[in-house]
Amino acid sequence: MNLTRRQLLKNGMLVGASAPLSLGAAWAAERGLADAPVHGPIRLYGSDRSTTELGLGLRQQGWEPRYEGRLDPLALNALPAGALVTGFTDEAGLVLLTSLLAGRGRILALGRHEAGQHRLLSHRGPVAAPLAEERGSWQAALGREYARLALANDAGRHAEYFRRSGGAAENASELSFLVQL
Amino acid sequence: MSTTQRILPKGVSETDFDAALSRFREIIGAGSVLTESDQLAPYTKIMMAGDQSDYIPSAALLPTTTEQVQEIVRACNEYKVPIWTISTGKNLGYGSAAPGATGQVMLDLHRMNRILNVDPEVCTALLEPGVTYQQLYDYIKENDLKLWLDPPAPSAIAGPVGNTLDRGVGYTPYGEHFMFQCGMEVVLANGEVIRTGMGGIENSSSWQVFKWGYGPYIDGLFTQSNYGIVTKMGLWLMPEPPAYRPFLIQYQDPEDIEEIVDVLRPLRIAQIIPNAVVIVHTLWDAGTHVMRRDYYDGTDSIPREAIERIKADEGIGEWNVYAALYGTPEQIEVNWKIVEQAFGASGKAKIMYGEEAEKRGGGFEYRSALMKGDMNLQEFGLYNWRGGGGSMWFAPVSQAKGSETRDQTELAQQILGKYGFDYVAEYIVGWRDMHHVIDLLYNRQDPEETQRAHDCFAELIDEFAKRGYGLYRTNTEFMEQVAGTFGDPLREVHRTLKNALDPNGILSPGKSGIRS
Repeated sequence: MNLTRRQLLKNGMLVGASAPLSLGAAWAAERGLADAPVHGPIRLYGSDRSTTELGLGLRQQGWEPRYEGRLDPLALNALPAGALVTGFTDEAGLVLLTSLLAGRGRILALGRHEAGQHRLLSHRGPVAAPLAEERGSWQAALGREYARLALANDAGRHAEYFRRSGGAAENASELSFLVQL
Repeated sequence: MSTTQRILPKGVSETDFDAALSRFREIIGAGSVLTESDQLAPYTKIMMAGDQSDYIPSAALLPTTTEQVQEIVRACNEYKVPIWTISTGKNLGYGSAAPGATGQVMLDLHRMNRILNVDPEVCTALLEPGVTYQQLYDYIKENDLKLWLDPPAPSAIAGPVGNTLDRGVGYTPYGEHFMFQCGMEVVLANGEVIRTGMGGIENSSSWQVFKWGYGPYIDGLFTQSNYGIVTKMGLWLMPEPPAYRPFLIQYQDPEDIEEIVDVLRPLRIAQIIPNAVVIVHTLWDAGTHVMRRDYYDGTDSIPREAIERIKADEGIGEWNVYAALYGTPEQIEVNWKIVEQAFGASGKAKIMYGEEAEKRGGGFEYRSALMKGDMNLQEFGLYNWRGGGGSMWFAPVSQAKGSETRDQTELAQQILGKYGFDYVAEYIVGWRDMHHVIDLLYNRQDPEETQRAHDCFAELIDEFAKRGYGLYRTNTEFMEQVAGTFGDPLREVHRTLKNALDPNGILSPGKSGIRS
């Protein structure tokens, strides 16, 4: 599914968009977004609602998500060193992404979101939030957590399991990632 | 579950390891010595049915020159630090970029990526281990050279040196990669450098054209082994033919594999069909772009009924033969008639090329690209077939005889079925041999299924060996077991060579089951 223009505008991810700033600001305030990004850009990959929501969570924590479309891991070679990259992909994309990072980048966190369960693996310290959905979707909660991990200085491998709620339609298997080149 | 404790090489004290790391930083610079968890995480990605905690490196080193590799090896000898060498680290399903055992230091050669020479007259190349197929492909295009490569399926990201050293295969007439290797530069465990073949002669112009040199031919000792670190390798490249015709032959019945191989064998041996032909089963052909759950949701083997639905929906056969003809247009026309006559005799085959083949389902487009050495990543789609990130290649060798092929197919299907896995397989046809390549796909996130996959793979090795079939290559979890199937006398020779060349056992301990 492609993101609609409305969805992109909501998250401030439509490059070159001429969205009325006042409308965006009003919506942002309503959704608890920071006034302006304070942490800089983060590349966001994926092509469905989960990506939109992940971007929302990142934006709420002061990051500036830049929507890049479906993940093409080979395209990451063109990004500058230090660039942060996040999003959703499939099994093939994850295999390709992680294998390309050997000696070239850092895996900060990986998420496997399956029926009834989230499995999060962090290499930047423990995962703090259990992807609570009180403040919206689990994908937005994941975005907030990834936003925190992107700034964390902790080390070590930490694996956490959280319960995933929702109906069958929302329980499709999804794979998320947060990496730095 | 959290892991924050420091991982050390086996038998190495923290003090000695710190001293070794300091020495490594002096040799290659601090930025090329990786020790942080998030930097090492890509080196822990395994797809095989092993415990991930058994494959975590203590550090990774990124040298850029042969001299640095020499110094690293000397330091490793001093501190008894074991290193596990990778070239581009894309041996997916065979151990990926992970070490052979936890605590080993990764020696990652991907930054040694110079194309040292490409000679369009004698069609040779001299490469460093970090050169990727895509890089060499781009070089050839940019310089308008009429040369073709022979990449394996993960072509763009893998490299010719690493693939050849693991005796990988491709799909053009140069498909048996080690056959087309010529000359190596090798850093030995004592830090000395040797050049094989004609490379020992100063200023030799024939290092990349004459394989044998003088005296014992030793290049094979450095493939699938841990006797040295290959830092340069010569390859033969295929001259671009004036014409090329990829084609597809489909058969619909499971037992047709016997006829296919018996028809194909004389055509391959006589070089009527010169390339490494593949005979692809339905589930591989569909699995590169179809999701299993769209046809079957069970956790046991996919049933025959679902396979038949896939064949019908996708327009593919039970067996799908991808091959090609190369040469002048006149040569191709002559050979095409021979191929049509041979495969058309029984009336079972549907033979296609051009638009007709393109319109059929399956992998004709990407197979056509691979058979002319173009870059392609389509087969990564297999990882989506079952999901869960588990993949192990089971790859026994057989004679190119229909009876053996049928025997292997039935045995594999029986064992895979017993453990609830699918037969996702293809045969790659060499001159007289076949590589029966089966992708054991499973859900690595499920511990019970992972254990089943492990047991299944172990049984496949044993049962195939009982019938006289050995593997040509395997993943790091099963190297010991596979080495055992080749017998103790051979293992003793391997061990004797290891003790002579690497007495401290610092180079890739356990590779192919070889230890000092």
